[in-house]
Amino acid sequence: MTVIALRPPAPSLAADWKRRFFATPLQAVVSLLCLAVMVTVVWTILDWALLTAVFDPSRGAQACLTPGAGACWSVIAARWRIILFGLYPYDEQWRSALACLTVVAITVLSCIPAFWTARRLPLVWVAGTGLFYLLLKGGILGLPYEGEEVWGGLVLTLFIFVSTCLIGFPLAIGLALLRRSELPWISKTTGIIIDGVRSLPLISILFTFAIVLPFALPQSLIGDKLYRVILGSALFFSAYQAEIVRGGLQGVPRGQEEASMALGISYWQRVSRIMLPQAMRNALPATINQFVITFKETSLVVIVGFFEILASGNAAYGTGEWRFAYVEVYVFIALIYFVFVFSLSRYGAFLERRMAVGAR
Amino acid sequence: MTVPGPAAPALQIVGLNKYYGPLHVLRDVNLTVRRGEKIVVCGPSGSGKSTMIRCINRLEEHSSGTIIVLGTELNDDVGNIDEIRREVGMVFQHFNLFPHMTVLENCALAPMLVRKVPQAEAEAAARRYLEKVRIPEQAMKYPGQLSGGQQQRVAIARALCMRPEIMLFDEPTSALDPEMISEVLDVMVTLASEGMTMICVTHEMNFARRVADRILFMDRGEIVEEAVPDTFFTAAKNERTRQFLSQILKH
Amino acid sequence: MIPMLKNQKVRNTVQQVLFVGGLAGLVLCGILIARKNLAAQGMTAGFDFLWKSTGWDVNFSLLPASANDPYWWFFLIGILNTLFLGTTGLVLATVFGTIVGLARTSKNELANLLGRTYVDIFRNIPIILQLFFWFAIITHLPAPRAARGVAGFVLSSRGFYLPIPNVAAPAFVAAAFALIAAIALPIWLGRTSQLQRPFGERGTIQLAATAVALALAVVILLVGHASGTPFLDIPALQGLNLRGGLRVSPEFTALSIAMAIYGGSYIGEIVRGGFLSVGKGQVEAANALGLSGWQIFSLIRLPLAMRAMLPILTNQYVWLIKATTLGIAVGFTDFFMIVALAINHAGQTIESIGILMGGFLAINLSLAAIFNRINKAIALKGNQLRGQE
Ligand SMILES: Nc1ncnc2c1ncn2[C@@H]1O[C@H](COP(=O)(O)OP(=O)(O)OP(=O)(O)O)[C@@H](O)[C@H]1O
Ligand SMILES: [Mg+2]
Repeated sequence: MTVIALRPPAPSLAADWKRRFFATPLQAVVSLLCLAVMVTVVWTILDWALLTAVFDPSRGAQACLTPGAGACWSVIAARWRIILFGLYPYDEQWRSALACLTVVAITVLSCIPAFWTARRLPLVWVAGTGLFYLLLKGGILGLPYEGEEVWGGLVLTLFIFVSTCLIGFPLAIGLALLRRSELPWISKTTGIIIDGVRSLPLISILFTFAIVLPFALPQSLIGDKLYRVILGSALFFSAYQAEIVRGGLQGVPRGQEEASMALGISYWQRVSRIMLPQAMRNALPATINQFVITFKETSLVVIVGFFEILASGNAAYGTGEWRFAYVEVYVFIALIYFVFVFSLSRYGAFLERRMAVGAR
Repeated sequence: MTVPGPAAPALQIVGLNKYYGPLHVLRDVNLTVRRGEKIVVCGPSGSGKSTMIRCINRLEEHSSGTIIVLGTELNDDVGNIDEIRREVGMVFQHFNLFPHMTVLENCALAPMLVRKVPQAEAEAAARRYLEKVRIPEQAMKYPGQLSGGQQQRVAIARALCMRPEIMLFDEPTSALDPEMISEVLDVMVTLASEGMTMICVTHEMNFARRVADRILFMDRGEIVEEAVPDTFFTAAKNERTRQFLSQILKH
Repeated sequence: MIPMLKNQKVRNTVQQVLFVGGLAGLVLCGILIARKNLAAQGMTAGFDFLWKSTGWDVNFSLLPASANDPYWWFFLIGILNTLFLGTTGLVLATVFGTIVGLARTSKNELANLLGRTYVDIFRNIPIILQLFFWFAIITHLPAPRAARGVAGFVLSSRGFYLPIPNVAAPAFVAAAFALIAAIALPIWLGRTSQLQRPFGERGTIQLAATAVALALAVVILLVGHASGTPFLDIPALQGLNLRGGLRVSPEFTALSIAMAIYGGSYIGEIVRGGFLSVGKGQVEAANALGLSGWQIFSLIRLPLAMRAMLPILTNQYVWLIKATTLGIAVGFTDFFMIVALAINHAGQTIESIGILMGGFLAINLSLAAIFNRINKAIALKGNQLRGQE
């Protein structure tokens, strides 16, 4: 039996293009304009970043200053260690690198559905963060001790991010449950706290925790500034995440709670076995989005004086011969953020699509 | 007040009142149910049938009156509430199965958490009850993969797994397609024949005729008629009951 | 005690008292400790410092300010600066976002690709990094004497210079109001006379109103023009520096650019979502009624999309206003930076933080209130709509 092609003959390329880009005079103008912009931008970037760029650090900063030279990537080659690891001792920087890998591992594991259980996910995060902390801090297993004051660069950014999530997430669930409480005083007070924190800018909270809080704490509780700032950032995260969790809980049909009550299941078991698993599923896309936002906002700790990746980037070009190479350094840091944030948000969008299909 | 032990009636409701704000939805309801007795409750929409049976296991808190379940008074004592919920099973109109657990997990969960039954034992019991509601082969499926009738039978099995003394049914068949109603009612008839104490809100009058010891008719928050099936269908005293019956039996 | 706790009512009360009391206790402890610590440093609590002069200056202010002015005046200046920067960033971000959003929803694949690239790049890089980048670029620009401008607009390391009319300040403000009226009047007229008049007539009235308001703005500017000076004050090189025109400081320029570009990428997605939410059915119905492309856009798609995106847009605007606190990263004296400076100099930590929180609460609440009003005004009436997926 022969298969007869029933498809209409493919339109010629020219006709197809005419339909897609030049259907009306206005369309044609828009198309040409966009094309011009694209070609210019792509060419400029290509020329600057690759064709005329200087890669070889051994030629020194001078090579970048010759007329016609493009991007000075040699600054990265020369200064990447300070950007990534801050002031961490040179010989111990393998520990920082390993710590960064830990974070990547935590993130990747958290994205695998097989780990989305009430036991595995916390385990991954607690173990991962603990490993991260031990690696950096040392003092055991023959690793030399390195205090928080030498932590810096990308590693510090990641540490703040991971601990913010680790502390903020349980806090968020607690706040969401309290806000849903049937007891009016508890739900109202929690509501005021959540809305209050949400109405403040993150910087003001970080500032309060870093600089103001020590006044209001007894001497023994003041602790290191790093951990206070992490607490502040976790509080901020949890206020937003609590509303996401609450939204998820509201999406669980009322009958679910009633059925488990009728079976005699206690409050905590109801919450942990019936309500939260379903709520977190509803809230997953928004949660990933919140993680993305939090990762971006971690960069704000530079304002309260931490040597995280932005500050170490400033230091990388700020002193000595590389003073002119700020664009390259910022582009490099932007790329690091971009890779992390873009892939995570793409993953979130993918999940959202898949769940929309599943919900039909 | 409380008569302890097996001598106590299954359920004793005295002077029950329930308000939603200004809305008076249960008015001075009195009801005593003996052990093993089957009660069918019917009445027009909004008459308070659901509210009444939901008060029995404290899904709604009653405003005044006394409810004594199996000799335990339902009051603010948290221990009493827990005990009563353990002994009273409930089946809902919309099944309310846990969608993120398999049928087997749905059934075994409460015995494991509440009665602290070991997992293997709970699952074995769950399989026995699934057999009883005639769907043993669906044990590893998720609720979303079952038909409405099958889901409702799972819901019955789930309630039975707690080995309750009393079963409450709130319109268990009214969300089902007609061809699935009988498979659920069959299970309920079997259950009745085994001596379970049952309180069913339903408009399935053939079922009521077959299994009920007494039929209650509720209207505007009151029990206005209470009779054995024969009398109820042929010689109802109350005008509203007769009107309701003529409407519902017309088809 | 233990059997009492088995009672649900008792238990509920105990839980609430413990929770609220515990929190209140914590806060109280914090305040008491802070008072003690501050007293040990020889500082008195209270708001008296608000009336003391600051002894330091701000680098940007819409109102006259000097080191002799009291703290409350500086706080006010800070709030105004925040609002000013916020509004600038908000308007620019909306312009950027609208362009990007329209590109993303247009049928033209090239425009679509451009829009998507823009969103993907700028949404995924922290705003503070973008701010540092633009600030570094601006401060590394040629000095004023070497900078080249176009038609009086000059970008230099000392900031952005642009020509302004030689007009007295009150007249300037009045003209600005007339301009706002030129935009707001037709919208308002469109609402009030919606049902009484045919489309064509309504359009004429709206156009006339806009024309009148615009003419009024021009007249006000001409009247307010200081006689004996050229109408436009164009920045020009004098010695080593540019004189004349309006100088926008590098800090403000960088902040505006960063907020516009970053905010634009978010608003672009909101605009896109708004247009996507307009059901195909509505557009098809309009097509079937024979409306032209522009009519479908302005009468059907735009109004419906606006309604869909406004609530989300409100959140984004609140976020943008809060983002003005980035000012401290480059040294722009916004409200937060002034509070931080006040804490440094006057030491009234708790009071200043209280003022900061109160200020932001007030700003957020008023913004939310304004947008809720708008939202309610334009919301579709009734709840009988069907088939609006
Ligand atoms: N949570 C609630 N808040 C306020 N009023 C309620 C609530 N639940 C029920 N009601 C009201 O109480 C009355 C009795 O409701 P109930 O659900 O008990 O009726 P029903 O007899 O079960 O009706 P149906 O046959 O429709 O299920 C109704 O008027 C209903 O509107
Ligand atoms: Mg009901």
